[in-house]
Amino acid sequence: MAERAVSFSDASGAPLAPTGAPRVRNQRWALVKRALTARGAPFGAAVLALVVLIALVAPFISPYDPLKQDLVNARLAPSAEHLLGTDDLGRDVLSRVIYGSRVSLIAGLASVAIGVVVGSLLGLVAGFSGGLADSLVMRLVDAVLAFPGLVLALALGAVMGAGLFGVVIALGVVYTPTFARLMRGQVLSIREREFVAAARVIGSPAWRIVAKHVLPNVATPIVIQASLSIAFAILAEASLSFLGLGVPPPTPSWGGMINQGRGYLQQAPWIVFGPGAALFVTVLGLNFVGDAIRDALDPRIRV
Amino acid sequence: MGTLILRRLAAMIPVLVLVTFGVFSFIHLTPGDPIDAMMGESFDAAAKERIRVELGLDQPIHVQYLTWIGRVVRGDFGRSIRDNEPVIENVSRRIGVSLQLAAYAMAISLAVAFPVGILSATHRNSPIDGFGTMFALFGICMPNFLIALLLIYVFGVKLAWLPISGYSPPDDGLVAWVRSLTLPAITLGLALAAVVTRTLRSSLLETLSEDYVRTARAKGLAEYLVIRRHALKNGLIPVVTILGLQLGTLIGGAVITEFIFALPGVGRLVVSAIFSRDYPMVQGVILLIAIGFVLSNLLVDIVYGWLDPRIRYG
Repeated sequence: MAERAVSFSDASGAPLAPTGAPRVRNQRWALVKRALTARGAPFGAAVLALVVLIALVAPFISPYDPLKQDLVNARLAPSAEHLLGTDDLGRDVLSRVIYGSRVSLIAGLASVAIGVVVGSLLGLVAGFSGGLADSLVMRLVDAVLAFPGLVLALALGAVMGAGLFGVVIALGVVYTPTFARLMRGQVLSIREREFVAAARVIGSPAWRIVAKHVLPNVATPIVIQASLSIAFAILAEASLSFLGLGVPPPTPSWGGMINQGRGYLQQAPWIVFGPGAALFVTVLGLNFVGDAIRDALDPRIRV
Repeated sequence: MGTLILRRLAAMIPVLVLVTFGVFSFIHLTPGDPIDAMMGESFDAAAKERIRVELGLDQPIHVQYLTWIGRVVRGDFGRSIRDNEPVIENVSRRIGVSLQLAAYAMAISLAVAFPVGILSATHRNSPIDGFGTMFALFGICMPNFLIALLLIYVFGVKLAWLPISGYSPPDDGLVAWVRSLTLPAITLGLALAAVVTRTLRSSLLETLSEDYVRTARAKGLAEYLVIRRHALKNGLIPVVTILGLQLGTLIGGAVITEFIFALPGVGRLVVSAIFSRDYPMVQGVILLIAIGFVLSNLLVDIVYGWLDPRIRYG
């Protein structure tokens, strides 16, 4: 749940420097090339591709049934048969790590998608129409931001009951204000630009101005923020599941597995090691990818 | 300065009203009958009815809200449904532990972030910088519960240097008190240290390329004075911003840290109240956390305006 919107918009949602003129198509390849050659980006992209692939083909590559208990073989150390060992109920840790990638990816992607869609719409309405709608939306956003992210997610999760659906909605609500503020700030700055005024003068309807002139110009910071948010959403889901308030057992989720193994740190540290390493490497990879996208799209905020 | 504070305070009011709406509707958003959810369906029907009347859940919704908010304004945040203890008493008993943990964590994170961040910026692209950047990345990507387990494994289990669970109040000995909070504070402080290191490094790199820094060097000022008097002063502003923005993360992190290390703080209270479906308790604690969070953000804004006159007059 870490740095919500840290580097690009300050707490007041101040807009980034407006992005330049719409990019020409053949510049896109230059962008992709730049993103892929940034430091750490090849590693990040590879990790991301691998995790997505693993999640997709989980049933075909996991050596065991992730839910099948085998109490006789509980807490076995890693061996050729169980590459990451077995947990306290004798389930194969590797198979559970493989299936756990699904929960992590779904939670990360779906909650950020909700945040992007709902937040952008709210920000668009607020920034474009101004007046009462603007103050209403922004007070609502302030109210959501009055709760620390994880605490809000915990409370919302408690309301909706445990499960992946509840976690996704709860985290979606947590991420919405960031995107609403970002979008509003961008819209406010772009609304004043000449090409929008020109479109208005020739009688373009509002929806057309939004679709043709505003959205292409605000996409950059939204994409940057979204790509960095996914890593934090995955961490947040893991935190909720770790607390036992996210995806309930026996469904394998990395956070839940780590919580389950923490009582056996001394006798069977591998129960924690498998999901812990998977979580760390995935988040690391996503961070590299997010940084690379940011650097490629907006070289000015490179650090 | 006075106007800034007044303006901020006035802006807080509508937000806090919306917050109370949100927290109030909490109990009504739970699927099904909240009494069933709290007590279990098999609970005695007469007793259920008694609790329903006690909590005012038999009243129309606007009456319920007005009664509730009337009590909140007078400082009554409700009572636990489990042991009937007032929320405010429970929280005030625990808030000290949470604040001690936060202060300790903050101290650790600044003690780590300042040397690492400054050395990274002044020795750009050196091995020191490489180490600093790696450290920052590690701290940002490593979930705090994994850091906690790692610390417990190394310092608690293998080396057995520090206690891995529980809290020892300062009255029972200062050494035991500090020891009981050390691993939790490192857990909570490391992620913050990582973020601060990163921010400090990049903002120092920026100020170090300013003209006034070149001037200071040109007049022959010792390098440490250039850093301390000229670069650091302006380089610190983004650090204050980031510390303010990380406040929410710190509170969330405290929830997890207190949970793992069994510290009797407010964060642990949130989790245990959710677990025991003590909804009035959850409601009260979350409202208190939100109010505390909003007020601390206000404090950060004020400090910020005091540090950077451009904001005050902007």
